[in-house]
Amino acid sequence: MRLLAKAAAALATVTLLAGCGAGGSNSGSGVTTVEWWTINLTAPAANQAIDKVIADFEKANPDIKIKRTPRAVDAHKDALRTAIGTSAAPDIYDYWAGPGLGGELVKANASADLTEYYKQYKWDERFTGAALAPVTQYGGYHGVPWKLNGEALYYNKKLFAQAGITQTPKTLDELNTAAKKLKDAGITPIEFGGTVNWHVMRLLDTFLEGKCGSATFDKLVTKKANWGQESCVTDSFTELQTWAKDYFNPGFIGINNDESSALFYGGKAAMALEGDWFNASIAGQKMNLDDVGVFTLPTSTNRLYGFEQAQYITKDSKNKDAAAKFLDYFTSTKVQQETLGLFAVQSVNKDVKPDEAKASSLDKAWDGVFKNAKGLYMNNDQNLNQSQTREYWRIQNLVATGGLDPKQAGAEMQKFLDSSN
Amino acid sequence: MTKLTETRFTAQASVPQGRPQRKKNLVQRIGKGGFIASLPFLAPALAAYVVFVIAPMISAVRLSLYQWSGYNTDPQVFVGFKNYIRLFTQDPVFWTSVQNTVVWVILSLIIPTTLGLVMALALNQPLVGRNLFRSVFYIPGVLAPIAVANMWRWMYNPNYGVFSEISKTLHIGDGSGVTFLSDPKVAIYAVFAAFVWQVAGLNMVLFLAGLQGVSKELVESARLDGANNWQVFRNVTLPALRPTVVIVMVLTIVHSIKVFDLIVGMTGGGPAQSSQVLALWSYTQSFLNHDFGLGNAVATVLLVVTLVLVVPYLIWSTKGADDQR
Repeated sequence: MRLLAKAAAALATVTLLAGCGAGGSNSGSGVTTVEWWTINLTAPAANQAIDKVIADFEKANPDIKIKRTPRAVDAHKDALRTAIGTSAAPDIYDYWAGPGLGGELVKANASADLTEYYKQYKWDERFTGAALAPVTQYGGYHGVPWKLNGEALYYNKKLFAQAGITQTPKTLDELNTAAKKLKDAGITPIEFGGTVNWHVMRLLDTFLEGKCGSATFDKLVTKKANWGQESCVTDSFTELQTWAKDYFNPGFIGINNDESSALFYGGKAAMALEGDWFNASIAGQKMNLDDVGVFTLPTSTNRLYGFEQAQYITKDSKNKDAAAKFLDYFTSTKVQQETLGLFAVQSVNKDVKPDEAKASSLDKAWDGVFKNAKGLYMNNDQNLNQSQTREYWRIQNLVATGGLDPKQAGAEMQKFLDSSN
Repeated sequence: MTKLTETRFTAQASVPQGRPQRKKNLVQRIGKGGFIASLPFLAPALAAYVVFVIAPMISAVRLSLYQWSGYNTDPQVFVGFKNYIRLFTQDPVFWTSVQNTVVWVILSLIIPTTLGLVMALALNQPLVGRNLFRSVFYIPGVLAPIAVANMWRWMYNPNYGVFSEISKTLHIGDGSGVTFLSDPKVAIYAVFAAFVWQVAGLNMVLFLAGLQGVSKELVESARLDGANNWQVFRNVTLPALRPTVVIVMVLTIVHSIKVFDLIVGMTGGGPAQSSQVLALWSYTQSFLNHDFGLGNAVATVLLVVTLVLVVPYLIWSTKGADDQR
């Protein structure tokens, strides 16, 4: 009888577990727990701000509890891969909105179409056009924009002056001239850490956008143009090879981005191609912010280079209403205004205005970069899927280290794209 | 050398003669109850082995015939041998990883093994501070490979690393520092240097243990017969070390084939996938590229290569055990 009782208890447990949907639970007390998986935020102030947002929301909504689980990038990806489609999946997950990352999860039926919530909360009117574009690209609305990061060239004003550069470059040719002047003055023009691949990739993406133009760039990354037949692809790889040989810090490919950034902080390299989060890094390194400037990547297309992170509600979530209510609060003007500068220098909420009193000179420079941008082109590790990205990096590094003729790079990339279809 | 022959005969004669020496085949052993009687004792370990080793292996081979992103919401699509065809004919990194794995295994069998043997022979002599040296050489072997990787990556740093500082001080090169990990032609060997530093001490300990089993009488007899150091080593020590050499070789092959942590920690397979190896490429395809079909096809190739190299040893060692029954 005891054995039978144990078997019955086990069966009841299994039945109970089987009845659970993805995400958090709705306990008997009427409190709904929303499971929210996020990518780690490194800055302590940003973490404290998120904790405060959750506390404030829970105080105003005692029937909803938010359980946040932050993880490192790879751990976050692994956890999602194993949990999606099971009862262990969260209600909300934080992810990059590019087709190669967030898009892959949309394709894998992980994300819910949020059209009804966009209507209910009028989110269409809340977010900027640039912020909405990545979440509407799959049809319907997948994800709620959270932060849009831009990338540009930071430069050391003293080193520029030392090399006789009086104006920031406006075209790729002017950028080349500036790099040559810096090199001639015995200064490393730009720093990169090659082991992380995506760091050097930013410059290659810039050359592709600048030399191919927006339309061809978009066709290349959506596989509607042939990489092997566009001469601008060869020009871009040729430019990359020249820069890697003449203008990068020596041994760049054997160090990571943190190690190479130390060269910029220490005044040993004149430029760094970084995102707006670099403002906080520079301040943390005790650099004088007035010695540092930032200028738009001189591609002449006027598009902003960057990427977006969005909060997605999982398709199988049983707590979609509570999750949407929280995201509405999280992206509200009040919360976004309070947290401005902690996650990104620019908010995705178009009613949020920069605080002139608190803004640093770099924050103000970034404001100009965002305002003058006409559209967005994303990092190619967001545009391409994971295996295509890895091949893009392989070719990029081979060219940068002299192991592949730039003339063959486009054809090599196209060969891989054809074989992986 | 007469004494050597006599001693060997004496040793053979000392085997107990009471029980007739006869070989039993597998069927006889099962029939006599050896296997069936031991089954209840083997069952827990066998069950764990099936669940944690055999089942994942079968699952890996099965997945290598499917196309799958790894998401439960994404269906697994049967594609037959398409993943293998892609791997052998279209994957731009697979053959690099095969070549690196083979080079790594061959170098591992030569360099750290020889170094371990030389260190063991040296530290088997009555030297002052012998135990201290043994400990110092063995310590790298107990460190986690990822810690070793971090340490060596820092030493190779072109800006601040010790090798760069030395090269700058001695005015070697163009003054831009050591860039071993940046050069696609050199990176794999730079990582291998760290591997040698870590495993040579382990090999030394195994050889030292083996050297304790070399008969002092035989060595003394050889010397009385006029053998020099090399002749003693060649004709007495080395034959006595044969079982140890086999163990070291097999362990080295197994460790080399599955090398992973050091490469992840030092180069991540780069630059430009030039230091990629099979184990890491399998992981990369599955967990980073989200192509579990291709990743498991690499894992299956790795499994076959490992079996081809290790099964002969298993047969040999099992045969030796059977002969002693």
